[in-house]
Amino acid sequence: MIELVDVHKYFGHSEVLKGINLKVEQGEVIVVIGPSGSGKSTMLRCINKLEDVTKGHIYIDGQDITDPKNDINALRQKVGMVFQSFNLFPHLTALQNVTIAPIRVQKKDRRDSEQKGRDMLARVGLTGKEDFFPSKLSGGQQQRVAIARALAMEPEVMLFDEVTSALDPELVKEVLDVMKNLALGGMTMVCVTHEMGFGREVGTRAIFMDEGVIMEENTPAELFANPRNKRTQAFLGKVLAQ
Amino acid sequence: MSFLTSISNWLDSIPVIHQFASPKILASVFPFLLEGAKLTILFAVLGELFGIPLGLLAAVFKLSKLKILRALATVYVDFFRGTPLLVQLYIGLFALPIAFPVIQKIPDFTFYGGVAVLAINSGAYVAEIFRAGIESIHKGQMEAARSLGFSYLKAMWYVIIPQTFRRVLPPLTNEFIALLKDTALLSALAITELAMKARYLSSWKANVSPFMGAALIYLAMTIPLTRLVAYMEKRLAISD
Repeated sequence: MIELVDVHKYFGHSEVLKGINLKVEQGEVIVVIGPSGSGKSTMLRCINKLEDVTKGHIYIDGQDITDPKNDINALRQKVGMVFQSFNLFPHLTALQNVTIAPIRVQKKDRRDSEQKGRDMLARVGLTGKEDFFPSKLSGGQQQRVAIARALAMEPEVMLFDEVTSALDPELVKEVLDVMKNLALGGMTMVCVTHEMGFGREVGTRAIFMDEGVIMEENTPAELFANPRNKRTQAFLGKVLAQ
Repeated sequence: MSFLTSISNWLDSIPVIHQFASPKILASVFPFLLEGAKLTILFAVLGELFGIPLGLLAAVFKLSKLKILRALATVYVDFFRGTPLLVQLYIGLFALPIAFPVIQKIPDFTFYGGVAVLAINSGAYVAEIFRAGIESIHKGQMEAARSLGFSYLKAMWYVIIPQTFRRVLPPLTNEFIALLKDTALLSALAITELAMKARYLSSWKANVSPFMGAALIYLAMTIPLTRLVAYMEKRLAISD
């Protein structure tokens, strides 16, 4: 479904991705962990072409997104993305946030989209908040609207970029619960996260990244409990000591 | 004789006041000045109305990845912000019709040409206002829109630009005030807007009071607008 082949990314002279190879199959929930600056977020952003890769190829359903001949706007619709900072559209209500892309990008019928948007908001537990503007919602609610907004495009895969990092501790759970339900429903997901419990519970595979390379890869239970790589050990030691 | 008339007569008996702000003359020329003010408003509103989309387009060009569009917008903005409006009016309404005589056949050319030059001039200032407004929107907004499959232009139109409107409204109103006053330059082309009317009336009455009358009318238009800007800026400061 997604395949990264020898992906390199430079910001100026510094190489932040140094040859990433990764294959994500349908239904997988990949948990990506690693220290800050390890390139996790950059890798995720490359999959959605928010960053251009310097070298290498990324395939979505066999189509190379690094090939300028492929329609990136069409390919992006297959890949939903949720950001650390929510990035809801502040001039639109919760429901409008969810329906704007189906209506304006996919040219779907407004009424159908609104019905679907309400269902989507219900799915993330936000019935009754349809007409609220983002500024009137808590961080956890905003992030759930953002998930519903991405889901409304019916993507084949969802990318989560540290989506709970900006939330107050008591709001983390409600967002993780939505993500768990998604994973249980069979959604293909790539999650950059520091939530080890979440990763252990729903992840099918865990990846440890450091200094722009994938250092270790295993089932979450195995990777978190018995890390083989020294750096993984050091990182988990620090994280779990908190 | 009523009290007001006697005060008016007394004021007119003072030479300086009679020459500069004679109540009697002001009263007699006021309806004519208002006629001119109508044209002033018409020019300013039309100029701004066409200037806004033009400026918005130039702003989007200026932020484009394409060098040619950026260059085009830069030349446009630099030229019209860097030369006097009066010179632009001369070029548009005197020079161009001589170079291209077919222009002279357009009915009411002076009017439409005047509106066009004002719009193009105003657009250059509006472009900078919109550019600053667009750049003030967090880049996460564009990324979120693109990740949903919006093209760059669609993301601009549906997501970014609507968010800039609240922020650009105060500077756009300031630009409108500037344009409203700049319409006085149309008098150099014998367009009978407010300033030109004042000039005619002043020579007709051999008295400069009509200019004071014109100034009062300009103030009556601009002061409410400047108050409006102050109010909008205050509200914006609260909501941010």
